[in-house]
This record gives sequence, structure tokens and C-alpha cells, in this order.
Amino acid sequence: MTSAGLRGWSGRTIVTVMVAVFVLFFAIPLVWLLLATTKSARGLIVGNPFAPGSLDGLSTNWSQLFAFQDGAVTTWMGNSALYALGALIITLVAGIPAGYALALTEFRFRRLLLVLTLVVMLIPNTALVLPIFLELNAVGLIGSPLSVILPMSFFPFGVYLTYIYFSTSIPRDLLAAARIDGCREFEVFTKIALPLAAPIVALVAFFSFVQNWNNFFLPFVMLPSSDGYPVQVGLTSLLASTPAFNPSSAGAQSVQLPTLALATVVSVLPVLIVFLVSQRFLVAGMTAGGTKE
Amino acid sequence: MTMVDRTARQRGAMSYGFVSLYAVLTLAFGILPALYALYLAFTDAEGGFAGLANFSKVVGDFRFWPAVTHVALYLLIWLGALVVLVTVLAVIVHAIRVRWLSRTLRFVFYLPGALAGASSVMLWLFVLDPTASPVSGLLGLFGFESFVQVIVPGNLPVIFAIIAFWTGAGGWIVIMYGALNNISAEVIEAARVDGAGAVQIAWRIQIPMLRKWIAYMGIMSLAAGTQLFVEPQLLSQASNAIVPNDYSLNQLAYQYAFQQNDFNGAAAISLLLLVIALALSAVFVTRGGLFERD
Amino acid sequence: MARFRRASYVRSLLTITGSVGVLALALAGCGGGSDDSATTGSYGFPQATQDDKATITVWVDADRTKAADAFKKANPDVPIEVVTYDGSANGSNSFRTKMQLFDRAGSGWPDVVFSSQNNDAAWASQKSNGKQAFAAVLSDGLVAQDTLDQFTKGALNPCTVEGKVYCLRNDLAQVVLFYNKALLDKFGYQVPKTWQEYQALGEKVAQEHPGYIIGTVGDAFAPEIYFWSSKCQANDVTGPKAVTVNTGSPECQRVASMLDVLVKNGTTPNISVFTPEFVKKYSGMVLMAPGPAWYSGAIFNNPESLKVPAGQLGVAAPLAWAGEEAVTGNVGGGTWFVSSHSKNLKAAESFVRFATTADEYQVEVAPGYPAYAPAGAKWVKKQEESKYYATDLQAVVEAGTAIWSGWGSGIFSQEAIWAKTMTPGIASGKSLVSLLPEWQTAIKNQAQVDGYTVK
Repeated sequence: MTSAGLRGWSGRTIVTVMVAVFVLFFAIPLVWLLLATTKSARGLIVGNPFAPGSLDGLSTNWSQLFAFQDGAVTTWMGNSALYALGALIITLVAGIPAGYALALTEFRFRRLLLVLTLVVMLIPNTALVLPIFLELNAVGLIGSPLSVILPMSFFPFGVYLTYIYFSTSIPRDLLAAARIDGCREFEVFTKIALPLAAPIVALVAFFSFVQNWNNFFLPFVMLPSSDGYPVQVGLTSLLASTPAFNPSSAGAQSVQLPTLALATVVSVLPVLIVFLVSQRFLVAGMTAGGTKE
Repeated sequence: MTMVDRTARQRGAMSYGFVSLYAVLTLAFGILPALYALYLAFTDAEGGFAGLANFSKVVGDFRFWPAVTHVALYLLIWLGALVVLVTVLAVIVHAIRVRWLSRTLRFVFYLPGALAGASSVMLWLFVLDPTASPVSGLLGLFGFESFVQVIVPGNLPVIFAIIAFWTGAGGWIVIMYGALNNISAEVIEAARVDGAGAVQIAWRIQIPMLRKWIAYMGIMSLAAGTQLFVEPQLLSQASNAIVPNDYSLNQLAYQYAFQQNDFNGAAAISLLLLVIALALSAVFVTRGGLFERD
Repeated sequence: MARFRRASYVRSLLTITGSVGVLALALAGCGGGSDDSATTGSYGFPQATQDDKATITVWVDADRTKAADAFKKANPDVPIEVVTYDGSANGSNSFRTKMQLFDRAGSGWPDVVFSSQNNDAAWASQKSNGKQAFAAVLSDGLVAQDTLDQFTKGALNPCTVEGKVYCLRNDLAQVVLFYNKALLDKFGYQVPKTWQEYQALGEKVAQEHPGYIIGTVGDAFAPEIYFWSSKCQANDVTGPKAVTVNTGSPECQRVASMLDVLVKNGTTPNISVFTPEFVKKYSGMVLMAPGPAWYSGAIFNNPESLKVPAGQLGVAAPLAWAGEEAVTGNVGGGTWFVSSHSKNLKAAESFVRFATTADEYQVEVAPGYPAYAPAGAKWVKKQEESKYYATDLQAVVEAGTAIWSGWGSGIFSQEAIWAKTMTPGIASGKSLVSLLPEWQTAIKNQAQVDGYTVK
């Protein structure tokens, strides 16, 4: 810890205690969740919360989870991947050039588009979902994967991030120089701007993927059939089959708490993996935009 | 026609090309739906002009003001905690010179962000239940013996703030940490030579430098916070409705649309919510100098 | 140059307005419904053009997929597509939400829907915003009157709106009194016959065997288990949009003050029977509990819950208030709907009839007590043969016909209102008697929001 700083013993102690408290706050629930997936329903309630269960327990929960409705969980995970990645690709294709143009070129409606981007970011979801439903219904897309992918690929936050990045970390002189060298506009973008934009592309991809994967409300409204659910919506089917959360489901095909815990872990696995590898470029991307400020 | 003209024109045309796809998406999934919501808010079910009738109806609803209070309290607690704690933790983590420790800390703070929405609510359901909770002792200290006692209405704003903080704070700590890295070492060193302590450096130099990022965090969190929906909705489902399903404004709008089949009322609530969110954002924008060019 | 720029500006403006126009047209296009193919049919509602070969889409919850499997096995030639959804459970209201979206869209309705709730007829029987009511009338010739008549008396009440039947009941959820015969014999207690005896027993248990319990009020079912069977006028739905609420009546007061005594002395805790907490604290400690018929499978004979061993669980008739005839409450019991928009009503009808009446499902597979009386009798016989119970199950059969009819099925959820207002109140130590006026206000408010006239 910095020497010039918290002079003396008491300052250090306060800081250490504070950090320790927050480490526990952030870590305990996660650790507990992972342990819960290895337990039996009774063991979860009766046993010591931090005593691990057994591999046997884990495999029992695993097979119960993937047996649910003839492997519905596998289908849901596949759907989630399709929706999240499909929307991600369109987001990048549409958003990165847009952020670039907003930041580094002049054109009519530039300011308008920028302000709209900011405003739309603040509009409550529920206000837009119904009109979007009507729109997509008119073109006959309800129930198809596109009904989820298209609205999700509209990602103003990503455009805004790209805009900040380009407007703060790429000097206009550089582009001007390239133009004088005879680069056409499209080449200026692909050969000069894009290679410099790798961190922001990764960042937008990251946010877009995480947000798409976790989106709940939109697919819930757009997709009537359980076969089309992404895993986050599918979780509610599991929740509704858990007696502790839905008394009327008690009996035949019920899901137990540790299985639900396992489902929670499985449902976030891809995001978790993305998180594990993303911390570094998250910093690079977010703050590269801030350097000039 | 000169060379400059040609490129300028080409540049203009190209710009439209660059923004075209995004503009179409904005129109289809941003502007048009928003205009349609606006239209709904000022008309009745038959499509006739309703003036402010929808607004007076929802404001007069017995659930409206409680929902406003809930969301306001939650925002106050959450934004307060976010601004203060994220800044403090980022400064502390930044001050740690042991690299692996600093990196590990950031990672631990950041990881819960992977569990958003439905997943985090499920997890906290367990944590808040004294029977299964890994921190039942702590809950006991506060006098909570059963799940029902934990989720009494008075506790809910704090609970939602804690859940949101748990998932969201880490990402911002990491971002603030990165921003602190960008403050040049010479500035800090100079201050130190002048005899400033760590607290003074943080207060006088680091936090002012973070101002824009803090404002930015405020706006983003505000946009998310006023839209509070998934957390109370799932908590309501999982607590067998002890947490009401009309707890937040957004839920109330949902109730209007899908319970009462009153999309006009739902649109009116959403519009009110939008106005509030925009007004509050304006505060952050001006206070944080977000639009200032330097 | 300048002229060129203007031209390109105009062009881009045109492109934009053009796409706005297309989308605006698209928006307008969905305003009109697709009523063109509808003709008023012989069953008392406007039908779509019928096609006996059309595939029927069936929405079921996870548990009811077995009904669909059984139907496919018995009728391999009927084209059917099964879709699993959450059964509209727990106030998710997904059934209603989705149907309203389909109403707006003008297409997409499933042909048959199972709902785990029993108050859906309240909205499904009504036109909404000028759109045809979702539920097909079943009692005007679509389902044979003979079939309808064989449902247990009162079973179709939640499905009946203004004399017409809009759904078939899957199972009954009549409240009976479960008790642990082994414990009762050990302590030397008698099974109570009246609520007064029940209260006296509770006071005795608190003194002699503290820790044991005789019921719970922790679930949102409490009003249905206790107040319904006390004839409390909290939910007297008198018309499609009219309800009378009076929680100050003596019938409400008496049950509230009884519960106050039992909550205070610890024999009726404010804990949901489905929580881990309950299982942890009260495994082996449940002396008795009034509850719906499905409690047996869900709680008592469930290895993940109380796990009461075979030969101990007894079932007694619903309790009476001294001097009155015993009536009882009801907690849930799913319902089957046929869509009025179906293109193959014949197949849809045969599906709901099969699901509610056929032995292959209701007797062999279904976990709850069948609402269809002949299946109910066979189901009870099968349960008795399992030798799990310490008594016979005639109490279940009798209770099935003793459900008090003064408690209606409105659009609003009494369970949700109770959970929101009463459960936290009890948790913070207030007495039920003192909470009754608050409960009344909450019911009134909610009913009014749903368009009811409240008296």
C-alpha cells in the first residue's frame, strides 16, 4: 500500500478491513452458488452452507437438469447463442461505422442522430416492446428468431461508446493525412480507423453479447413457444417447476433447488467465460476514450 | 469541379453509407416505437384523442405514488452507494502497489457482473433466506429469523440496491481504475512533494479527474435504475407475491398493458418515466460537464 | 455544387420518409383484425372456417405434457403440436399476456390451453377492446351436456360466467384436514370436528407439546384455506364485473381471532410450507394441517419435503363451525380452455375432453384429484390401494362437493392481495383482526383497478 498515504497504523487498518468486507461481499454468494450445485435438496437446507456436497450430487443435478422436458435446456442454450451472436454481428456491422461517421465526419442529421441515440438509451423498455411487437407482427416475424435478433441489434449504447472512442482517441489529422495520400473514404475507414479501433470493437461486442444473452423481456414477449426460448426465459420455466417457488407445480415433474442453482450457473457460463477474458480490454477500451479528456 | 469538391462530396455520401444501417435500426426500433407510444399515451382505446386523461388516470391509481416512492428510494440508495463506494474502492485498489493483489481484487469485484438479471435474483433469493443463507448469522444480528421478515416492504429498496450494487459495481470499479491509471504520475508526484497525503491527493486531484466518468456512471445507472423491473418481478414470483408485482413504475406499466389490457395507460406511465429519467440525467450531464469540450 | 448537395439532401430525405412510410403502413396494417374468415357458428360464438385436418396447437405446463403424451398415444391420427409454457403459474399471467398480444396481432392463438390457475374464465369469456373473447363457449353444444354433468358438483363454477361454461376443470383442490395419526394417537388427542375444537386442541398442544404445529398461515392460500371455509365475504363475485367485499362480517372476524390465538401460541406459524425453512423446522412436527387435496403429494408424501412415512397420514373431513354445516375452501385446480379462434374445434374439443375425463390420464397419471367425478372415484380407489394413508379417502370425495359457493373467481388474485398486505403485516407482529380493514381496502382497490364495481 502506498507509503505516503494513509499515515500510521489506524488508517491502514480501516482500509484493510474495508477491502476485506467488500471482498467477502462480492465473493461469498458466488462461492456458495458453486457449492450449492453439488448438493442434494436436503443437504442444501440442512447442512453447513460452506460444506461442499459431492460429485455424485453434481452429476445427479446435472442429469435432472438436462432431462427436464426432454433436454429443453440444451435447446435454450442453443437459442441463446443464436440470438446473442446474430444480434452481435448486426450490431457491429451497423454500429461501428456509424460511431465512426458520427465522430469524424460531417453530415446533415449528425447532431440529430447523436441526440436521438442518447435519448433512446433512456427510454424504458416496456414502452417500446409493444410497438415493436406490432411492427414485427405486421411483417410476419413473430415467433421467428429474427423477431428477437433485429430489435436486439439496435444498440445505441454501443454506437455512443464508439463515438466517444473515435472522437477522443483518433486525431483528425491522421485521417486528413491519409486522404491527402489518396485514400478513398472507405479505405480511410478500413485501413486507418478500424485497425486502431480493435479495443472498442471488442468492448462493444462484449457489452452487446452480455446484454443480449441476459435479455429477458423482449424474447418473452416475441416468442410464444418454449422451443424458441433463450435460456434466461427458460429459467422461468424451471422456476415455475420448482415447488419452493411455485406450489402448484409440486408433484410430478418438479425441479429441486440445487438443480435450479446448477441451471443458474449453466445459464451464465458463456457470459462468465467472456468475463474471464474481458477484464483487460474492458479497461483498455473504456479508458482509451478517456485519455484525452 | 475541383479535387477538394470531389472528396468532400464523396465524404458526405460515404458518411450516409456508414450511418445508414444504424439509422434504419434507430428508426425501426427506436423512433417509430417511441412515437407510437407517444400516440398511445394521448389517445383512448378506440384511438380518439384523450388529452391528459391517461395521465390523470395513472397518477390517480392507488399504486402509482407508492411505486414512485419505491423507485425514488431505491435510486437514492443505489446511486449514492455507487458514487461513493465505487470511487473510494477504485482509489484504494489503485493505491495498492502489490500488482497481483490489486489485480485479484479487481477481478473479485468484477466477476459478479456475469450474473445479471434473472440469475442474480435467484442467487440472492438464497442469500436472503435465513434458512439456507451462507450469511444467516449476519441476518440474525439484524433480527431476521425468516425470509418473510427479511423482505418486508421497508427493506426492499435496500435489498434491490444491494443486488444491483453486487452485480454492477465491479465493472465500474475496473473502469475507474483504468481512468486513474491515465492520470500522469508527474502530477501525483508533484503533489506528494508538496506534502499532500493520499487522502488529499484523492480528494484534490484524482476525484476531480474522475468527474466525467462518475457523471457517466450516474447516467447509465439512472437509465437502468428507473427501469427497475426484472428484480422485483422475479422476487415477486419467487416469494409467492409477498413482494408485490406492482412494486416499481415499470412493473405498473406492465400491469396496465398485460393485466388490464390498457396499453394507453401503460404508455402514459412509460412517458412519465422517460421525462423523469431525462430530467435527472440533465443534472448529471451539467454537473459532470459531460458535454463540455476541452 | 450547391444544387447537387440539395439534390442529395432531398434524395436522402425521400429515402427516410419512404421507409417511415412503409413502417407506418405496417403499423396501420395490424390495427385491423382478421375477422374476415369468422362466421357465427352453431356453438354460440363466431367460428373460423373449420378444417378437420388442421393441426391443433396445445399449450401445457411441464406437468401436463403427460396429458398430451397420453392423448397422442390414444389418438395417433389427430395432428397435434404441443407447446410447453409456464402454465400461467404464480401470477405470471403469461396465458393472458400472450392471448392479448395475439388479439392485437389478430392471429397466432393456440387451439387448447391449460392454465394452472382457476380464475382465467373471468377474462377469457369477455370481449377485450372489441376483440372476440378468447375462450370458446363449451356448454352450447361443443362439449356434450352429458359430459359436463358428470363433473363433480361445483367443479365447473370457476369456469362458469353468466350461466355458460368456458373451460373444463382438470383437478379439484378442495380443502380437507390432514393429520398425523401416529402422533395424534401417541399424544392421546382426538381428531377435531369443528373449528372450535381445533382451536382448543391448538391451545392444548402449545401447552403440552410446544413445537408441534396444527397449520400454517405463511402461504398466500391462507384466505382460501381458512376464510373461504368460514364463509367470509371477502370475494363475493356477483357478476362479470361486480364484487361484494365485507371483511368486517362475523364470519371473517371469528376465523381471524381464532388464527390470532394460534399464531401467537406458535401452533400456526407464518411460514410457507414450500420453503426450505419450513422443511428444516417442522419435519416430523406437523400434527395436523388443513390444506388442499394436493398437499398429500406435494408436502406429506414427498421425499423432498416432510417425507411422512406410509401408514401415518390421515385425512379427515373439513371442519365445521359449531352449529353449522361444514363447507370448505379450494386452492387452485387447473383448467383447460378451447380457443374460439380454433380452425379445428372438433379435435380441440376431443383433446380437452380426453385430458379431463380419460382414465389413461386422470386416473393413471395425474397427481391431483380429478374434477370429473367418475375419474375421481377411480383415482381415490387407486390411492387407497397404495396403502400410504392411515385412513380411507372418503373425506376427500365428500369435501369435493362441499366447496362453499360464496367465494368467486374474479380476474384479480386474492392470493396476491393476501401476500402483499397480510403476510408482511403478520410477520411484523400485527394481529389478523386488526389487519382486516386493511385487507378490505386492498381487495377493493385491486378490484376497482380491474374494472369491478365494488360493494
